Amino acid sequence: MKKLLALLLTGSMVLSLAACGQAAPAQQASEPAPAAEEAAPAEEAAPAEEAAPAEASDSAYGEGYVFKHGFDLDYPPYSYIDENGQTGGFDVEMAQAVCEYYGWQYEAVPFNWDAKDAELNAGSCDCIWSGFTVNGREDDYLWSKAYSDNTQMIMVAKDSGISSLSDLGGKIVGVQTSTSAYDLLNDEEGQAELSSTFQSLEVYETYTIAFNDLKAGAIDAIAIDVTSGNYLMSGEDGYVFLDEALGSEQYAIGFRKGDTELCDLVNAALDALVADGTYDAIGQKYPEIYDFLCLN
Amino acid sequence: MTLSTMLSTMAAGMLRTCGIFALTLIGSLPLGMVVALLRKSRSPIVRGIIRVYISVIRGTPLMLQLLVWYFGPFYLFEWSIRGWRFPALILGFIVNYAAYFAEIYRGGIESMPVGQYEAAEVLGYTKTQTFMRIILPQVIKRIMPSITNEVITLVKDTSLAFTLAYQEVFSLAKQISASQTSFMPFVIAGVFYFIANYAVQFAMERIEKALNYYR
Repeated sequence: MKKLLALLLTGSMVLSLAACGQAAPAQQASEPAPAAEEAAPAEEAAPAEEAAPAEASDSAYGEGYVFKHGFDLDYPPYSYIDENGQTGGFDVEMAQAVCEYYGWQYEAVPFNWDAKDAELNAGSCDCIWSGFTVNGREDDYLWSKAYSDNTQMIMVAKDSGISSLSDLGGKIVGVQTSTSAYDLLNDEEGQAELSSTFQSLEVYETYTIAFNDLKAGAIDAIAIDVTSGNYLMSGEDGYVFLDEALGSEQYAIGFRKGDTELCDLVNAALDALVADGTYDAIGQKYPEIYDFLCLN
Repeated sequence: MTLSTMLSTMAAGMLRTCGIFALTLIGSLPLGMVVALLRKSRSPIVRGIIRVYISVIRGTPLMLQLLVWYFGPFYLFEWSIRGWRFPALILGFIVNYAAYFAEIYRGGIESMPVGQYEAAEVLGYTKTQTFMRIILPQVIKRIMPSITNEVITLVKDTSLAFTLAYQEVFSLAKQISASQTSFMPFVIAGVFYFIANYAVQFAMERIEKALNYYR
Protein backbone atom coordinates (compact mmCIF):
# COMPACT_ATOMS: atom_id res chain seq x y z
CA MET A 1 0.00 0.00 0.00
CA LYS A 2 2.89 2.36 0.77
CA LYS A 3 4.41 1.71 -2.62
CA LEU A 4 1.12 2.46 -4.24
CA LEU A 5 0.81 5.69 -2.32
CA ALA A 6 4.33 6.71 -3.32
CA LEU A 7 3.48 5.98 -6.92
CA LEU A 8 0.35 8.10 -6.71
CA LEU A 9 2.16 10.99 -5.14
CA THR A 10 4.82 10.88 -7.82
CA GLY A 11 2.09 10.77 -10.43
CA SER A 12 0.30 13.78 -9.07
CA MET A 13 3.56 15.72 -8.80
CA VAL A 14 4.39 14.97 -12.41
CA LEU A 15 0.94 16.14 -13.38
CA SER A 16 1.22 19.38 -11.46
CA LEU A 17 4.65 19.98 -12.98
CA ALA A 18 3.14 19.46 -16.39
CA ALA A 19 0.50 22.02 -15.52
CA CYS A 20 3.20 24.53 -14.57
CA GLY A 21 4.99 23.79 -17.80
CA GLN A 22 1.88 24.74 -19.71
CA ALA A 23 1.41 27.95 -17.82
CA ALA A 24 4.74 29.36 -18.88
CA PRO A 25 4.40 29.30 -22.67
CA ALA A 26 0.79 30.33 -22.34
CA GLN A 27 1.69 33.55 -20.59
CA GLN A 28 4.28 34.27 -23.20
CA ALA A 29 1.81 33.77 -25.96
CA SER A 30 -0.63 36.26 -24.49
CA GLU A 31 2.02 38.98 -24.56
CA PRO A 32 2.25 40.84 -27.84
CA ALA A 33 5.95 40.12 -28.36
CA PRO A 34 7.35 36.70 -27.41
CA ALA A 35 9.85 37.21 -24.61
CA ALA A 36 12.14 34.45 -25.83
CA GLU A 37 12.84 36.15 -29.14
CA GLU A 38 13.61 39.45 -27.50
CA ALA A 39 15.93 37.86 -24.99
CA ALA A 40 18.43 36.68 -27.58
CA PRO A 41 19.32 40.01 -29.24
CA ALA A 42 19.26 41.72 -25.84
CA GLU A 43 22.55 40.00 -25.05
CA GLU A 44 24.34 42.10 -27.65
CA ALA A 45 23.37 45.53 -26.41
CA ALA A 46 20.84 46.97 -24.02
CA PRO A 47 19.54 49.77 -26.37
CA ALA A 48 18.23 47.08 -28.72
CA GLU A 49 15.29 46.73 -26.38
CA GLU A 50 14.08 50.21 -27.24
CA ALA A 51 13.78 49.33 -30.90
CA ALA A 52 11.97 46.08 -30.21
CA PRO A 53 8.48 47.38 -29.30
CA ALA A 54 8.25 49.60 -32.38
CA GLU A 55 9.33 46.74 -34.57
CA ALA A 56 6.86 44.43 -32.89
CA SER A 57 3.88 46.69 -33.52
CA ASP A 58 4.88 46.96 -37.17
CA SER A 59 5.47 43.28 -37.62
CA ALA A 60 2.70 41.87 -35.43
CA TYR A 61 0.82 41.16 -38.65
CA GLY A 62 3.86 40.99 -40.87
CA GLU A 63 4.75 38.31 -43.33
CA GLY A 64 4.43 34.85 -41.84
CA TYR A 65 1.71 35.87 -39.38
CA VAL A 66 -0.59 32.92 -38.76
CA PHE A 67 -4.11 34.08 -39.56
CA LYS A 68 -6.55 31.85 -37.70
CA HIS A 69 -9.79 31.73 -39.65
CA GLY A 70 -12.68 30.64 -37.45
CA PHE A 71 -15.67 29.15 -39.25
CA ASP A 72 -18.41 26.57 -39.18
CA LEU A 73 -18.04 23.66 -41.59
CA ASP A 74 -21.81 23.20 -41.63
CA TYR A 75 -22.54 26.28 -43.68
CA PRO A 76 -22.42 25.71 -47.43
CA PRO A 77 -21.55 27.42 -49.67
CA TYR A 78 -19.67 29.87 -47.42
CA SER A 79 -17.65 27.30 -45.52
CA TYR A 80 -18.08 23.58 -45.96
CA ILE A 81 -16.48 20.34 -47.04
CA ASP A 82 -16.21 20.45 -50.82
CA GLU A 83 -16.52 17.81 -53.53
CA ASN A 84 -13.02 16.54 -52.83
CA GLY A 85 -13.50 16.21 -49.11
CA GLN A 86 -11.43 19.36 -48.51
CA THR A 87 -12.31 22.47 -46.55
CA GLY A 88 -13.72 24.99 -49.00
CA GLY A 89 -16.36 27.60 -49.66
CA PHE A 90 -16.51 31.26 -50.56
CA ASP A 91 -15.41 32.53 -47.15
CA VAL A 92 -12.57 30.03 -46.91
CA GLU A 93 -11.25 30.96 -50.36
CA MET A 94 -11.55 34.67 -49.60
CA ALA A 95 -9.70 34.26 -46.30
CA GLN A 96 -6.98 32.34 -48.09
CA ALA A 97 -6.75 35.11 -50.71
CA VAL A 98 -6.36 37.71 -47.94
CA CYS A 99 -3.57 35.62 -46.42
CA GLU A 100 -1.86 35.31 -49.78
CA TYR A 101 -2.14 39.08 -50.22
CA TYR A 102 -0.21 39.78 -47.01
CA GLY A 103 2.03 36.72 -47.07
CA TRP A 104 0.30 35.37 -43.97
CA GLN A 105 0.00 31.72 -43.15
CA TYR A 106 -3.58 30.53 -43.31
CA GLU A 107 -4.82 28.35 -40.46
CA ALA A 108 -8.29 26.85 -40.62
CA VAL A 109 -10.05 26.76 -37.24
CA PRO A 110 -13.35 24.97 -37.78
CA PHE A 111 -15.49 25.37 -34.68
CA ASN A 112 -18.83 24.40 -33.29
CA TRP A 113 -21.14 27.33 -34.11
CA ASP A 114 -22.68 27.38 -30.63
CA ALA A 115 -19.23 27.93 -29.14
CA LYS A 116 -18.11 30.63 -31.60
CA ASP A 117 -17.90 33.44 -29.03
CA ALA A 118 -15.90 31.35 -26.60
CA GLU A 119 -13.52 30.38 -29.42
CA LEU A 120 -13.08 34.01 -30.50
CA ASN A 121 -12.64 35.41 -27.00
CA ALA A 122 -10.24 32.66 -25.99
CA GLY A 123 -8.11 33.49 -29.01
CA SER A 124 -8.25 30.13 -30.71
CA CYS A 125 -9.32 32.08 -33.81
CA ASP A 126 -8.76 35.66 -35.00
CA CYS A 127 -12.20 36.21 -36.47
CA ILE A 128 -15.58 34.67 -37.18
CA TRP A 129 -15.85 34.53 -40.96
CA SER A 130 -18.53 32.09 -41.92
CA GLY A 131 -21.59 33.70 -43.44
CA PHE A 132 -21.81 35.70 -40.23
CA THR A 133 -24.79 38.04 -39.95
CA VAL A 134 -24.14 41.60 -38.79
CA ASN A 135 -27.75 42.60 -38.17
CA GLY A 136 -28.70 42.39 -34.53
CA ARG A 137 -25.04 41.92 -33.52
CA GLU A 138 -23.77 45.37 -34.53
CA ASP A 139 -22.32 46.15 -31.09
CA ASP A 140 -21.03 42.69 -30.20
CA TYR A 141 -18.04 42.52 -32.53
CA LEU A 142 -15.68 44.71 -34.46
CA TRP A 143 -17.05 44.32 -37.98
CA SER A 144 -15.28 44.38 -41.30
CA LYS A 145 -17.13 45.86 -44.25
CA ALA A 146 -20.08 43.74 -45.38
CA TYR A 147 -19.23 41.52 -48.33
CA SER A 148 -22.51 39.75 -48.97
CA ASP A 149 -26.21 40.56 -48.72
CA ASN A 150 -28.74 37.97 -47.83
CA THR A 151 -32.47 37.68 -47.46
CA GLN A 152 -34.55 35.39 -45.28
CA MET A 153 -37.27 33.71 -47.29
CA ILE A 154 -39.89 31.04 -46.95
CA MET A 155 -39.35 27.93 -49.03
CA VAL A 156 -42.34 25.77 -49.95
CA ALA A 157 -43.21 22.97 -52.34
CA LYS A 158 -44.60 24.34 -55.63
CA ASP A 159 -47.83 22.41 -55.23
CA SER A 160 -48.37 23.36 -51.58
CA GLY A 161 -50.94 26.05 -52.31
CA ILE A 162 -49.01 28.49 -50.14
CA SER A 163 -48.31 31.67 -52.07
CA SER A 164 -47.92 34.39 -49.48
CA LEU A 165 -46.84 34.82 -45.90
CA SER A 166 -50.46 35.08 -44.79
CA ASP A 167 -51.11 31.56 -46.10
CA LEU A 168 -48.72 30.24 -43.48
CA GLY A 169 -51.33 30.50 -40.71
CA GLY A 170 -51.86 27.08 -39.13
CA LYS A 171 -48.93 25.58 -41.01
CA ILE A 172 -45.83 23.85 -39.68
CA VAL A 173 -42.66 25.76 -40.47
CA GLY A 174 -39.10 24.48 -40.05
CA VAL A 175 -35.96 26.48 -39.29
CA GLN A 176 -32.37 25.72 -38.32
CA THR A 177 -31.28 26.65 -34.82
CA SER A 178 -28.98 29.70 -34.34
CA THR A 179 -29.64 31.09 -37.81
CA SER A 180 -30.79 34.58 -38.63
CA ALA A 181 -34.09 33.18 -39.90
CA TYR A 182 -34.60 31.59 -36.50
CA ASP A 183 -33.75 34.82 -34.69
CA LEU A 184 -36.06 36.78 -36.94
CA LEU A 185 -39.02 34.50 -36.25
CA ASN A 186 -38.46 34.85 -32.51
CA ASP A 187 -37.80 38.58 -32.49
CA GLU A 188 -40.69 40.75 -31.29
CA GLU A 189 -39.54 43.50 -33.62
CA GLY A 190 -39.00 40.98 -36.40
CA GLN A 191 -41.45 38.33 -37.48
CA ALA A 192 -42.56 36.96 -34.11
CA GLU A 193 -46.10 38.03 -34.92
CA LEU A 194 -46.03 35.97 -38.10
CA SER A 195 -44.58 32.93 -36.37
CA SER A 196 -47.33 33.11 -33.74
CA THR A 197 -49.80 32.28 -36.53
CA PHE A 198 -47.97 29.03 -37.37
CA GLN A 199 -49.30 25.79 -36.01
CA SER A 200 -45.75 25.22 -34.83
CA LEU A 201 -42.17 26.25 -35.52
CA GLU A 202 -39.93 23.21 -35.72
CA VAL A 203 -36.30 23.91 -34.84
CA TYR A 204 -33.74 21.68 -36.56
CA GLU A 205 -30.09 21.00 -36.02
CA THR A 206 -29.39 21.38 -39.74
CA TYR A 207 -31.32 22.53 -42.79
CA THR A 208 -30.57 19.22 -44.47
CA ILE A 209 -32.88 17.47 -42.03
CA ALA A 210 -35.48 20.23 -42.29
CA PHE A 211 -35.43 19.95 -46.08
CA ASN A 212 -35.86 16.22 -45.84
CA ASP A 213 -38.90 16.77 -43.64
CA LEU A 214 -40.28 19.21 -46.19
CA LYS A 215 -39.81 16.63 -48.94
CA ALA A 216 -41.45 13.99 -46.79
CA GLY A 217 -44.39 16.30 -46.09
CA ALA A 218 -43.80 16.45 -42.34
CA ILE A 219 -43.61 20.23 -42.48
CA ASP A 220 -45.15 22.77 -44.86
CA ALA A 221 -42.43 25.37 -45.23
CA ILE A 222 -38.87 26.28 -44.29
CA ALA A 223 -37.66 29.70 -43.19
CA ILE A 224 -34.16 30.07 -44.58
CA ASP A 225 -31.53 32.43 -45.98
CA VAL A 226 -31.94 32.70 -49.70
CA THR A 227 -28.33 31.61 -50.33
CA SER A 228 -28.58 28.49 -48.17
CA GLY A 229 -31.97 27.83 -49.73
CA ASN A 230 -30.53 28.11 -53.23
CA TYR A 231 -27.85 25.66 -52.23
CA LEU A 232 -30.41 23.17 -50.88
CA MET A 233 -32.65 23.51 -53.93
CA SER A 234 -29.88 23.15 -56.49
CA GLY A 235 -30.55 19.87 -58.22
CA GLU A 236 -34.04 19.63 -56.76
CA ASP A 237 -37.21 20.42 -58.63
CA GLY A 238 -40.53 21.43 -57.20
CA TYR A 239 -39.57 23.95 -54.52
CA VAL A 240 -39.88 27.73 -54.63
CA PHE A 241 -39.42 30.77 -52.45
CA LEU A 242 -42.41 32.94 -51.63
CA ASP A 243 -42.14 36.41 -53.19
CA GLU A 244 -42.35 38.24 -49.88
CA ALA A 245 -39.14 38.17 -47.88
CA LEU A 246 -39.08 37.80 -44.10
CA GLY A 247 -36.16 40.15 -43.71
CA SER A 248 -32.74 41.02 -45.02
CA GLU A 249 -29.26 41.03 -43.59
CA GLN A 250 -25.62 41.48 -44.39
CA TYR A 251 -22.63 39.22 -43.89
CA ALA A 252 -19.32 40.52 -42.64
CA ILE A 253 -16.29 39.34 -40.71
CA GLY A 254 -16.50 39.65 -36.94
CA PHE A 255 -13.32 40.48 -35.00
CA ARG A 256 -12.68 40.85 -31.29
CA LYS A 257 -13.36 44.38 -30.19
CA GLY A 258 -10.00 46.11 -30.02
CA ASP A 259 -8.40 44.18 -32.88
CA THR A 260 -8.70 47.33 -34.99
CA GLU A 261 -5.39 46.87 -36.74
CA LEU A 262 -6.24 43.39 -37.98
CA CYS A 263 -9.73 44.49 -39.01
CA ASP A 264 -8.30 47.45 -40.97
CA LEU A 265 -5.78 45.21 -42.69
CA VAL A 266 -8.46 42.73 -43.74
CA ASN A 267 -10.68 45.56 -44.98
CA ALA A 268 -7.79 46.93 -47.04
CA ALA A 269 -7.14 43.46 -48.45
CA LEU A 270 -10.81 43.06 -49.35
CA ASP A 271 -10.64 46.35 -51.29
CA ALA A 272 -7.56 45.17 -53.12
CA LEU A 273 -9.10 41.79 -53.92
CA VAL A 274 -12.23 43.46 -55.26
CA ALA A 275 -10.09 45.81 -57.37
CA ASP A 276 -8.00 43.05 -58.91
CA GLY A 277 -11.01 40.85 -59.67
CA THR A 278 -10.20 38.04 -57.23
CA TYR A 279 -13.43 38.62 -55.30
CA ASP A 280 -15.46 38.34 -58.47
CA ALA A 281 -13.54 35.29 -59.69
CA ILE A 282 -14.05 33.41 -56.43
CA GLY A 283 -17.69 34.49 -56.35
CA GLN A 284 -18.33 33.02 -59.78
CA LYS A 285 -17.44 29.58 -58.46
CA TYR A 286 -20.47 29.83 -56.17
CA PRO A 287 -23.48 30.64 -58.37
CA GLU A 288 -25.91 30.26 -55.44
CA ILE A 289 -24.52 33.36 -53.78
CA TYR A 290 -22.94 35.30 -56.63
CA ASP A 291 -25.87 37.68 -57.06
CA PHE A 292 -25.72 38.62 -53.40
CA LEU A 293 -22.07 39.61 -53.21
CA CYS A 294 -22.23 43.33 -52.52
CA LEU A 295 -18.68 44.60 -52.98
CA ASN A 296 -18.67 44.40 -56.79
CA MET B 1 -18.95 14.27 -54.17
CA THR B 2 -18.39 10.70 -55.25
CA LEU B 3 -19.11 7.89 -52.86
CA SER B 4 -15.45 6.94 -52.72
CA THR B 5 -14.42 10.50 -51.75
CA MET B 6 -17.10 10.47 -49.10
CA LEU B 7 -15.93 7.12 -47.79
CA SER B 8 -12.28 8.08 -47.70
CA THR B 9 -12.98 11.44 -46.03
CA MET B 10 -15.09 9.73 -43.42
CA ALA B 11 -12.62 6.90 -42.96
CA ALA B 12 -10.05 9.53 -42.01
CA GLY B 13 -12.58 10.77 -39.46
CA MET B 14 -13.09 7.24 -38.20
CA LEU B 15 -9.35 6.96 -37.59
CA ARG B 16 -9.56 10.07 -35.41
CA THR B 17 -12.53 8.53 -33.61
CA CYS B 18 -10.46 5.40 -32.96
CA GLY B 19 -7.66 7.64 -31.67
CA ILE B 20 -9.94 9.22 -29.08
CA PHE B 21 -11.23 5.77 -28.18
CA ALA B 22 -7.83 4.18 -27.70
CA LEU B 23 -6.29 7.08 -25.77
CA THR B 24 -9.31 7.31 -23.50
CA LEU B 25 -9.14 3.62 -22.63
CA ILE B 26 -5.39 3.70 -22.09
CA GLY B 27 -5.81 6.60 -19.69
CA SER B 28 -9.06 5.83 -17.93
CA LEU B 29 -8.78 2.09 -17.24
CA PRO B 30 -5.75 2.51 -14.93
CA LEU B 31 -6.90 5.88 -13.58
CA GLY B 32 -10.24 4.32 -12.68
CA MET B 33 -8.43 1.72 -10.58
CA VAL B 34 -6.50 4.44 -8.77
CA VAL B 35 -9.73 6.31 -8.09
CA ALA B 36 -11.45 3.14 -6.85
CA LEU B 37 -8.61 2.50 -4.41
CA LEU B 38 -8.52 6.11 -3.23
CA ARG B 39 -12.23 5.93 -2.67
CA LYS B 40 -11.48 3.22 -0.08
CA SER B 41 -8.63 5.23 1.43
CA ARG B 42 -8.34 5.55 5.20
CA SER B 43 -8.17 9.33 5.02
CA PRO B 44 -11.64 10.88 5.13
CA ILE B 45 -10.36 13.91 3.16
CA VAL B 46 -9.21 11.77 0.25
CA ARG B 47 -12.46 9.79 0.35
CA GLY B 48 -14.43 13.03 0.37
CA ILE B 49 -12.56 14.48 -2.60
CA ILE B 50 -13.06 11.30 -4.59
CA ARG B 51 -16.76 11.21 -3.80
CA VAL B 52 -17.20 14.79 -4.95
CA TYR B 53 -15.20 14.06 -8.10
CA ILE B 54 -17.33 11.03 -8.95
CA SER B 55 -20.62 12.76 -8.29
CA VAL B 56 -19.70 15.88 -10.26
CA ILE B 57 -18.46 13.85 -13.22
CA ARG B 58 -21.48 11.56 -13.24
CA GLY B 59 -23.88 14.37 -12.53
CA THR B 60 -22.97 16.66 -15.43
CA PRO B 61 -23.09 16.04 -19.17
CA LEU B 62 -19.82 15.01 -20.81
CA MET B 63 -20.45 17.67 -23.44
CA LEU B 64 -20.32 20.37 -20.77
CA GLN B 65 -17.21 18.86 -19.22
CA LEU B 66 -15.45 18.96 -22.58
CA LEU B 67 -16.25 22.66 -22.94
CA VAL B 68 -14.89 23.34 -19.47
CA TRP B 69 -11.68 21.41 -20.17
CA TYR B 70 -11.09 23.31 -23.38
CA PHE B 71 -12.17 26.84 -22.49
CA GLY B 72 -11.53 26.66 -18.74
CA PRO B 73 -7.79 27.43 -18.87
CA PHE B 74 -8.52 30.64 -20.75
CA TYR B 75 -11.51 31.85 -18.77
CA LEU B 76 -10.04 30.91 -15.39
CA PHE B 77 -6.35 31.70 -15.87
CA GLU B 78 -6.18 33.59 -19.17
CA TRP B 79 -3.80 30.99 -20.57
CA SER B 80 -3.53 30.67 -24.31
CA ILE B 81 -5.44 27.61 -25.47
CA ARG B 82 -3.63 27.32 -28.77
CA GLY B 83 -3.08 23.66 -29.54
CA TRP B 84 -5.05 22.70 -26.45
CA ARG B 85 -8.06 21.31 -28.34
CA PHE B 86 -7.01 17.70 -28.63
CA PRO B 87 -5.35 17.37 -25.19
CA ALA B 88 -8.44 18.93 -23.59
CA LEU B 89 -10.66 16.50 -25.44
CA ILE B 90 -8.67 13.46 -24.34
CA LEU B 91 -8.36 14.69 -20.75
CA GLY B 92 -12.10 15.30 -20.63
CA PHE B 93 -12.83 11.80 -21.84
CA ILE B 94 -10.28 10.13 -19.57
CA VAL B 95 -11.40 11.93 -16.42
CA ASN B 96 -15.03 11.20 -17.24
CA TYR B 97 -14.60 7.54 -18.02
CA ALA B 98 -12.27 6.96 -15.08
CA ALA B 99 -15.12 7.91 -12.75
CA TYR B 100 -17.42 5.31 -14.27
CA PHE B 101 -14.72 2.65 -14.37
CA ALA B 102 -13.86 3.41 -10.74
CA GLU B 103 -17.40 2.61 -9.69
CA ILE B 104 -17.34 -0.63 -11.67
CA TYR B 105 -14.05 -1.61 -10.03
CA ARG B 106 -15.40 -0.69 -6.60
CA GLY B 107 -18.44 -2.86 -7.17
CA GLY B 108 -16.17 -5.73 -8.14
CA ILE B 109 -13.81 -5.27 -5.20
CA GLU B 110 -16.63 -5.01 -2.66
CA SER B 111 -18.27 -8.13 -4.00
CA MET B 112 -15.34 -10.23 -2.76
CA PRO B 113 -16.17 -12.21 0.38
CA VAL B 114 -14.36 -11.11 3.57
CA GLY B 115 -13.30 -14.72 4.08
CA GLN B 116 -10.78 -14.39 1.27
CA TYR B 117 -9.03 -11.50 3.02
CA GLU B 118 -9.00 -13.45 6.29
CA ALA B 119 -7.62 -16.56 4.62
CA ALA B 120 -4.91 -14.51 2.91
CA GLU B 121 -3.96 -12.90 6.21
CA VAL B 122 -3.67 -16.29 7.89
CA LEU B 123 -1.44 -17.45 5.05
CA GLY B 124 0.84 -14.46 5.68
CA TYR B 125 0.00 -12.36 2.62
CA THR B 126 0.56 -8.64 2.96
CA LYS B 127 -2.32 -6.35 2.04
CA THR B 128 -0.76 -5.45 -1.30
CA GLN B 129 -0.11 -9.12 -2.10
CA THR B 130 -3.66 -10.03 -1.16
CA PHE B 131 -5.03 -7.38 -3.45
CA MET B 132 -2.74 -7.93 -6.41
CA ARG B 133 -2.66 -11.74 -6.38
CA ILE B 134 -5.99 -12.79 -4.98
CA ILE B 135 -8.61 -10.08 -5.18
CA LEU B 136 -7.76 -8.23 -8.42
CA PRO B 137 -7.65 -11.27 -10.74
CA GLN B 138 -11.11 -12.30 -9.57
CA VAL B 139 -12.45 -8.75 -9.76
CA ILE B 140 -11.35 -8.40 -13.37
CA LYS B 141 -13.16 -11.59 -14.34
CA ARG B 142 -16.28 -10.51 -12.55
CA ILE B 143 -16.51 -7.00 -13.98
CA MET B 144 -15.77 -7.80 -17.61
CA PRO B 145 -19.41 -7.59 -18.78
CA SER B 146 -19.84 -4.15 -17.19
CA ILE B 147 -16.55 -2.99 -18.69
CA THR B 148 -17.64 -4.16 -22.12
CA ASN B 149 -20.82 -2.16 -21.72
CA GLU B 150 -18.90 0.97 -20.85
CA VAL B 151 -16.37 0.50 -23.65
CA ILE B 152 -19.14 0.21 -26.21
CA THR B 153 -20.73 3.35 -24.84
CA LEU B 154 -17.37 5.05 -25.22
CA VAL B 155 -17.22 4.22 -28.93
CA LYS B 156 -20.48 6.08 -29.40
CA ASP B 157 -19.65 8.88 -26.95
CA THR B 158 -16.61 9.85 -29.04
CA SER B 159 -19.12 11.66 -31.24
CA LEU B 160 -19.35 14.29 -28.49
CA ALA B 161 -15.95 15.49 -29.71
CA PHE B 162 -17.92 17.60 -32.18
CA THR B 163 -18.50 19.99 -29.25
CA LEU B 164 -14.86 20.97 -29.56
CA ALA B 165 -15.06 20.82 -33.35
CA TYR B 166 -12.70 17.88 -33.55
CA GLN B 167 -13.14 16.37 -36.99
CA GLU B 168 -14.12 12.88 -35.95
CA VAL B 169 -16.46 10.75 -37.98
CA PHE B 170 -19.74 12.17 -36.69
CA SER B 171 -18.73 15.82 -37.11
CA LEU B 172 -17.70 14.98 -40.65
CA ALA B 173 -20.98 13.16 -41.27
CA LYS B 174 -22.89 16.29 -40.24
CA GLN B 175 -20.74 18.56 -42.35
CA ILE B 176 -20.76 16.39 -45.45
CA SER B 177 -24.48 15.92 -45.03
CA ALA B 178 -24.90 19.71 -45.07
CA SER B 179 -22.69 20.21 -48.10
CA GLN B 180 -24.15 17.31 -50.08
CA THR B 181 -27.75 17.72 -48.84
CA SER B 182 -27.81 13.98 -48.32
CA PHE B 183 -28.32 11.51 -45.51
CA MET B 184 -25.78 9.08 -46.88
CA PRO B 185 -22.98 10.33 -44.56
CA PHE B 186 -25.08 9.43 -41.51
CA VAL B 187 -25.68 5.94 -42.87
CA ILE B 188 -21.95 5.53 -43.46
CA ALA B 189 -21.20 6.82 -39.95
CA GLY B 190 -23.70 4.31 -38.54
CA VAL B 191 -22.01 1.46 -40.36
CA PHE B 192 -18.58 2.62 -39.16
CA TYR B 193 -19.75 2.75 -35.55
CA PHE B 194 -21.34 -0.65 -35.83
CA ILE B 195 -18.20 -2.21 -37.26
CA ALA B 196 -16.11 -0.64 -34.50
CA ASN B 197 -18.45 -1.89 -31.80
CA TYR B 198 -18.60 -5.32 -33.35
CA ALA B 199 -14.82 -5.46 -33.13
CA VAL B 200 -14.96 -4.32 -29.50
CA GLN B 201 -17.56 -6.96 -28.68
CA PHE B 202 -15.52 -9.65 -30.39
CA ALA B 203 -12.33 -8.67 -28.57
CA MET B 204 -14.06 -8.48 -25.20
CA GLU B 205 -15.65 -11.89 -25.67
CA ARG B 206 -12.25 -13.35 -26.43
CA ILE B 207 -10.79 -11.76 -23.31
CA GLU B 208 -13.66 -13.06 -21.20
CA LYS B 209 -13.13 -16.56 -22.57
CA ALA B 210 -9.41 -16.38 -21.88
CA LEU B 211 -10.11 -15.32 -18.29
CA ASN B 212 -12.58 -18.09 -17.79
CA TYR B 213 -9.92 -20.59 -16.78
CA TYR B 214 -11.79 -22.31 -13.95
CA ARG B 215 -14.70 -23.53 -15.99
